[in-house]
Amino acid sequence: MSDAKPIRLLIAALGGEGGGVLAGWISNAANASGHFSQRTSIPGVAQRTGATTYYIEILEGGAKARGQRPVLALNAAPGEVDLVAASELLETVRTIQAGYVSPDRTFLIASQSRVFTVDEKSAMGDGRLDPERMESVARKFAKEAVIADFAAAAAAARCQPNAVLLGAIAGSGKLPIPVETFRAAIEAEGKAVEANLRGFEAGLQIAAGAAAPAPERDVPAGPARTETAGEIETRARKSLPVVAANIAAEGVRRLLDYQGPEYASLYLDRLERFAAKPGIDATLVRELARHLAVRMSFEDTIRVAQLKLRGGRVGRLRDEAKVRERDIVEITEFLKPGPEEIFSLLPPALGRGVLRLVARMGWMEKSFPMKVRTTRVGGFLRLQMLAKLRGFRPRTLRYAEEQAWIERWLGLVERAAAVDVEAAREVVETARLVKGYGETYKRGRGNWDRIAAEIIEPFLAGQLPAGQFADAVLQSRLAALADPDGARLGNVIESVRSLSAERRIAAE
Amino acid sequence: MAEVSFHSEIQGLRLGNGETFYGEGILAVTKALLQSGVAYVGGYQGAPVTHLLDVLVQSGEMLEELGIHLETCTNEAAAAAMLGASINYPLRGAVCWKSIVGTNVASDALSNLASAGVVGGAMIIVGEDYGEGASVIQERTHAVALKSSMWLLDPRPELPTIVRLVEKGFELSEASNTPVILELRVRACHVFGSFEAKDNVAPAYSANNRLAPAKFQYNRLAHPPVTFPQEVAKFEHRLPAARKFILEHKLNERIGPERGDIGIIVQGGLFNALNSRLSLAGLSDAYGDVQLPTLVLNVTHPLVPEEITSFCAGKRAVLLVEEGSPDFIEQSIAHILRKADLNTKLHGKDFLLMAGEYTPLVLGKGLAQFLAAYGRKNEPLEDWIAGVEQRNGEVAKALSTALPPRPPTFCTGCPERPIFSAMKILKKEMGPVHVAVDIGCHALATFPPFSQGNSILGYGMSLASAAAVSGTQEHRPVSIMGDGGFWHNGLLSGVAGAVLNKDDEILIVMNNGYSSATGQQDLPSSAPEDDGRGRGVDIEDAVKSLGVRWIKRVRTYGVANVVKTLREALQTPDDGLKVIIADGECQLARQRRIRPERARLAAAGKRVERNRFWVDPEVCTGDHSCIRLSGCPSLTVKPNEDPLRTDPIAHVNNDCVGCGLCGEVSHAAQLCPSFAEINVIENPNLWDRARHRVSQALIRLFGGGQGRQAAPAAEPTLVPAE
Repeated sequence: MSDAKPIRLLIAALGGEGGGVLAGWISNAANASGHFSQRTSIPGVAQRTGATTYYIEILEGGAKARGQRPVLALNAAPGEVDLVAASELLETVRTIQAGYVSPDRTFLIASQSRVFTVDEKSAMGDGRLDPERMESVARKFAKEAVIADFAAAAAAARCQPNAVLLGAIAGSGKLPIPVETFRAAIEAEGKAVEANLRGFEAGLQIAAGAAAPAPERDVPAGPARTETAGEIETRARKSLPVVAANIAAEGVRRLLDYQGPEYASLYLDRLERFAAKPGIDATLVRELARHLAVRMSFEDTIRVAQLKLRGGRVGRLRDEAKVRERDIVEITEFLKPGPEEIFSLLPPALGRGVLRLVARMGWMEKSFPMKVRTTRVGGFLRLQMLAKLRGFRPRTLRYAEEQAWIERWLGLVERAAAVDVEAAREVVETARLVKGYGETYKRGRGNWDRIAAEIIEPFLAGQLPAGQFADAVLQSRLAALADPDGARLGNVIESVRSLSAERRIAAE
Repeated sequence: MAEVSFHSEIQGLRLGNGETFYGEGILAVTKALLQSGVAYVGGYQGAPVTHLLDVLVQSGEMLEELGIHLETCTNEAAAAAMLGASINYPLRGAVCWKSIVGTNVASDALSNLASAGVVGGAMIIVGEDYGEGASVIQERTHAVALKSSMWLLDPRPELPTIVRLVEKGFELSEASNTPVILELRVRACHVFGSFEAKDNVAPAYSANNRLAPAKFQYNRLAHPPVTFPQEVAKFEHRLPAARKFILEHKLNERIGPERGDIGIIVQGGLFNALNSRLSLAGLSDAYGDVQLPTLVLNVTHPLVPEEITSFCAGKRAVLLVEEGSPDFIEQSIAHILRKADLNTKLHGKDFLLMAGEYTPLVLGKGLAQFLAAYGRKNEPLEDWIAGVEQRNGEVAKALSTALPPRPPTFCTGCPERPIFSAMKILKKEMGPVHVAVDIGCHALATFPPFSQGNSILGYGMSLASAAAVSGTQEHRPVSIMGDGGFWHNGLLSGVAGAVLNKDDEILIVMNNGYSSATGQQDLPSSAPEDDGRGRGVDIEDAVKSLGVRWIKRVRTYGVANVVKTLREALQTPDDGLKVIIADGECQLARQRRIRPERARLAAAGKRVERNRFWVDPEVCTGDHSCIRLSGCPSLTVKPNEDPLRTDPIAHVNNDCVGCGLCGEVSHAAQLCPSFAEINVIENPNLWDRARHRVSQALIRLFGGGQGRQAAPAAEPTLVPAE
């Protein structure tokens, strides 16, 4: 019997990423180096962006060593894989979960880049997995690991990530294949050779310990500092705890841009109301400052128009879409305001009247689809007209309603703080539920109203056991974000109500 | 034309004596067919055997030289019926498809073929879509071989053995007048390896050398009364002839030591997996030098009783490695041993799984148990199993949460996605409806974010599967079918049946132009192109001719119109079948066609327009309703750069092909004003430039352009054209 053991490689990738090509390069380079290699895969429908794997075995010396054909496996065995290369962080962890990465054996080459699953990206809040935890799992279970952002490296080299992974595999020195032979395999493939060789070099550098380029960060063209900002900011820094002051200063800038100095002062007035209260800590004020600024800069039609006319927006967008300087970009905005968005720009009494009429006519579902070309003067003027209504905003129905909501929310926070500061913290967080436009906004407000009326108020009225207050608010907020139909929220409210029933029974 | 181009692989098919073929398993089968002198080849596409047909479709010239007839059949039944040519004529023929599903569709023709028997070798190549990566119900093709008395080959998964079994398979078929099934698992179809090629053989009779029609011979018909003697012939003549051939040509392999008190019998296709576990146990090596007596069954039906008994005689026990359920081989071997009065203990499904794939861990555990039971407790094997299980526990602890699954999804810009967005919008308005799902890309709508569908009954069967649901619910049932399923089976089983029975239901046909899920093969309705097989048959004409009165055509990307049309179909007083033909070309095919063309024009300095979508990061509030109505891979999330917000915001990446769904959905569902369409005019002409300059000047005049604050340095960067 021979002692020769095949070297085993597993590639984890998403369908359509070129994992098959990568496996081909490796396998061809192995054969060209005088070894015997075998590769296989299970593409199937997974080629349509699903998770999939490719498996390679390489027997050094190959057939020549024995004058006999090797018998190699077609499946990876857990605990017996020498090198795992994965193009994405979650897929890396999936191969670890399947047992293919072992601390006594496996050299792991993994990309930090994420391609979010539908579950993660369709969550109503933040459904993303914790990348640090995944990376630490990867490091923990690999014998050695090269973990870098291969997608960013590929983007920088203007090639597919598979070429960069190949470079890292070649550079790892774990395979009995000269680097030159890998290059030759790319050349022999004959497709996008230059780009792939660029990626290959980038991968070699990653393996040699060079850091992959940091992924591009988008920085929105936010409002700039002005003199007034300086003044009000100073006030914020004086009157608010240090932890909260930075966020509050950001809030001030946001609201100056949104409405004006008076409105920004109103923001600080509201915050200072809390900062002075005994028992309320700095982190609560900080979170309050965050949510209050967001809620006070509610996204009415005027705000949307303002954002869409921001300078620097076109440049940023050109960057993102990789547009060359000599090319022309046209931007078409997709807007579709409904009756609520339009008539809430009227003064409260009139607006309410019109909306009642619209509802009576059954027109609430009607809306006005518009495609506005902001790069043409006509489209620009339409939006500019809207944006110029800014001065009129405090007299609109929407403004009145938003301020009423904010006061109600702040009132609940205040009352909750008097009972239990942890509960107050959770009441602050409920503001997260109110966001977006149209349906989303209505759903969020609806959920918030339910939580306020059926959870927060009963606790404040002492109808429910005080010890459960904070947790009940937290659970109901999470439930509201669990599904768009409000089913989970219904369940949570039901179970909180049963607390009150239990209490009654116990009392009796 | 198919997704993959086989330009270089075709050269491999032309190799001659002594040259080395290197390539994929399924293409080695293709080469083996040519070396065996096949006169005709047919089949229906489906993973993992699709490449066999795709490569031949692209090898027209070579097939013409050899005189081989190639048929891209409309379904597997048609492919199986094609083998009828071998009943009367000395023509070798091969057909292929995905099994078990294709075999089920084919089984009427197969039964008739198997009853009449063949004079020319007939081979059915099936991709056994079983275990990891499979996309169909988990059943064994073995059952069909048994019930129709066809022989089943399950070769060791390495190219020389696969090729030998193809060649020998034809001889076996002719020696026993029986069709032969060659079964290849997914990984065997896709394994890359080499074998020493032989010259291709032109068939004796073909278009190049015609033969006379067969004489009338009633006993060649599968028709009573000769069906009775045909059944007898299967067991009296064909079976013994097959067994004799299998023994004489050593199709099964005895390896390892001659003697030993225990041994292993294994399906050929599982040998490599078994060998890797035996190697770990120190009972074999990387060259398959097995230290336990082993019988490799490259033919799993029929078994040869003498071969089994001579292997088992004198052994205390044998372990049978047979994947899948029921345990057909185990039952047969038990039967053979009993009849031969041998008391060798037979193990199989008691140590290995009754159902499911035989992964290395399953095989390792079964082998360890077997060895331990006969006093050969194997430490390396048991240590490995214990290690794997311990680490699994550690990983689970370290992860602490379940990993989200990543099923396949519609491609970026897929024309089918908007239909499901529309259905989701309409569901909110009208409440749920019964949805009958079919086979094809559109079945991906059963996964999030659409998560819809009540039943899947097979390819082209959705409409038929909703027949008894129609009339029982508040709303009419909606059946989804692709153009692939429509031509495969749906037109007759579904549309004709619904018209005949006046079923009050709705059918949506996805007319994307190809059999897309399997790699964009041409269908009767595909546009006729120079080198394609499409004939441009109109689906609308087809259903009209069957008597459907209510037919609407929609452009899939027009979501609002799709919603309107679907609502109309649900509400119209017309109580017959309502057909909506959803037009939108497969985006993969479209991009493959237009991308190089566009790049060429742009490089040549010609004016090119491209569009894509963009999410305004300041306007998006991070609710992701848009993603729940789309699921497009290019519509994703990214961190919120706003220090005041933490929920990630929606983001369109550069894979966007500008299909327009994002904008349509945000309009149709009245989502939010975050979406914008960007039109990039590359190499603008004079008129473009003049218009742009005037617009910019006017905007500046009205106070726009630089914005209310100095724009951060966001000068467009120069990116070389790809």
